[in-house]
Amino acid sequence: MNTFVALETIINKPELLAGAERPEGLGRTGLLGYFSGTLGLFVFLRIFSAVPPGVMSFSMVLLLVLAANFFFASAIHLFMDLTGVKGSASRLFLAFGCSDYFLALLVPLAFFAKLHILNGFLWFCLCLLLIIYARVRLVRRLYPVSVNKALLSVWLPYAGFSVVFFAVCVYSLAWLIWLVI
Amino acid sequence: MEEQNNFGGVNPGEQPEPGAQPAPSVQPAPAASPRGAALWLKIIAGLYALSLIAALAVINRADAVRKSKPKDLDLSKLTGIGQSKKDAVAVIPIYGAISQGNSSRSWERGSQQIAKRITALAGKKEVKAIVLDINSPGGTVGAVQEIYSAILKAKAETKKPFIARFGEVSASGGYYVAAACDQIIAQPGTITGSIGVIFSVGNFEGLMKKVGFRSEVIKSGKFKDIGSASREMTPEERKLLQAMIDDSYDQFVTAVSAGRKMPADQVKLLADGRIYTGRQGLEVKLVDSLGDLQDAIDKAGELGGLGKNPRVLTDSDPFENFLSLMDSKLSLFGAKSVFDSVSPAASLEYHWYGK
Repeated sequence: MNTFVALETIINKPELLAGAERPEGLGRTGLLGYFSGTLGLFVFLRIFSAVPPGVMSFSMVLLLVLAANFFFASAIHLFMDLTGVKGSASRLFLAFGCSDYFLALLVPLAFFAKLHILNGFLWFCLCLLLIIYARVRLVRRLYPVSVNKALLSVWLPYAGFSVVFFAVCVYSLAWLIWLVI
Repeated sequence: MEEQNNFGGVNPGEQPEPGAQPAPSVQPAPAASPRGAALWLKIIAGLYALSLIAALAVINRADAVRKSKPKDLDLSKLTGIGQSKKDAVAVIPIYGAISQGNSSRSWERGSQQIAKRITALAGKKEVKAIVLDINSPGGTVGAVQEIYSAILKAKAETKKPFIARFGEVSASGGYYVAAACDQIIAQPGTITGSIGVIFSVGNFEGLMKKVGFRSEVIKSGKFKDIGSASREMTPEERKLLQAMIDDSYDQFVTAVSAGRKMPADQVKLLADGRIYTGRQGLEVKLVDSLGDLQDAIDKAGELGGLGKNPRVLTDSDPFENFLSLMDSKLSLFGAKSVFDSVSPAASLEYHWYGK
């Protein structure tokens, strides 16, 4: 099935995501979503010279995005499973790929940022919020949960990452102080 | 995890099994906008492709400009990497009281580190002359002499000229270090001189009696606790310390006499511990000329054969500067330096206690 048709079906009939059978073309569409989203993100970062050029560099970013989303999907699925809600982890991962199409918006937004229409970081944050909103909607389609629980489950891995990052920063600072005193 | 597609519909070539009940006819769900979403998706995909092409073109162009930049630039006009091997004058700062560092941390400004920097910079081929930017009231005898001897050794080995530049204060040990240099340049108002030695020790005997504290000393010889802050100094100890001071003083006078090429008797006339301004120092030949840091660098450039306004190689490593800053800011939040300054421990010093 054509990717456009599959995407159109997911947009028009999102309830099919939770059906007994996996929607046709979801795998291809999800993976293509990761690819085009990462390409958008990579181009955005390249415009700001935040990443090195080359295929290897793009591959590293793609690998990072795939790994992070794999972790996110598994963490959310685990959280749902532990709270007694059933669903499919693989569909969640692929559905997240579909939400990553929004990262493609970063390419024109980078031009806006370069024209000093809002800061590049703010555009990125807006895009991230849009993706999180889409993911909350998708989680609600895949698991029969309330909006609050879906929101909590989507934010949980991000919060976990933030906590780990903060802890590493604090530990590094403490280590540096210990080193110099 | 075998999952079947549910969008495939019924295969037209597939025949229903005999005996099976006829499937109820599936009514197609009425779509709100039959091809609306697909059209929008195609438009968005087209715009995405266009913006990608534009972005890649911009990035390629920017990369090409960045790559071609170094070819168009004259490297000799750049400072840093492009010019790293060009001849230069090195400037080494000697700020604050001179003492031996408490550790081997490379970013500490103890006498060992300064001596090491002098030796390292003098050994560099591109360094043709060295300026010591001194702003110090002196320090402990051993630490001052360590820097002094490092300068003499570097001069003997490399034959490179050394220029001392005085800032606000360069007295006592600060002057001792400068005496090893070929030229001394000071500001007219610089405080210099204070040629002499000092040994000071606090006496807390009265205070300790008041608070009821008593120190018991068991010693192997009668002079083992010389310089103790818990009792009065004996006449014998005073005599012994005076002899030590005289010897250190003689070393100072000899160093000034040798460095300034003045007879020792003439130096002794100036070396009663008094301080001089830069201009007074020029009159009594303790200073060669008056000027600022740039004048000192120009002089070093001339002596090193580089002419006026030579390239300057500063003695600073950004990483070491950062660690030094962290160290000074975080080391008990400055409490250590306060403790050091009020410490009653006695030490032999080429030090001027002014500001």
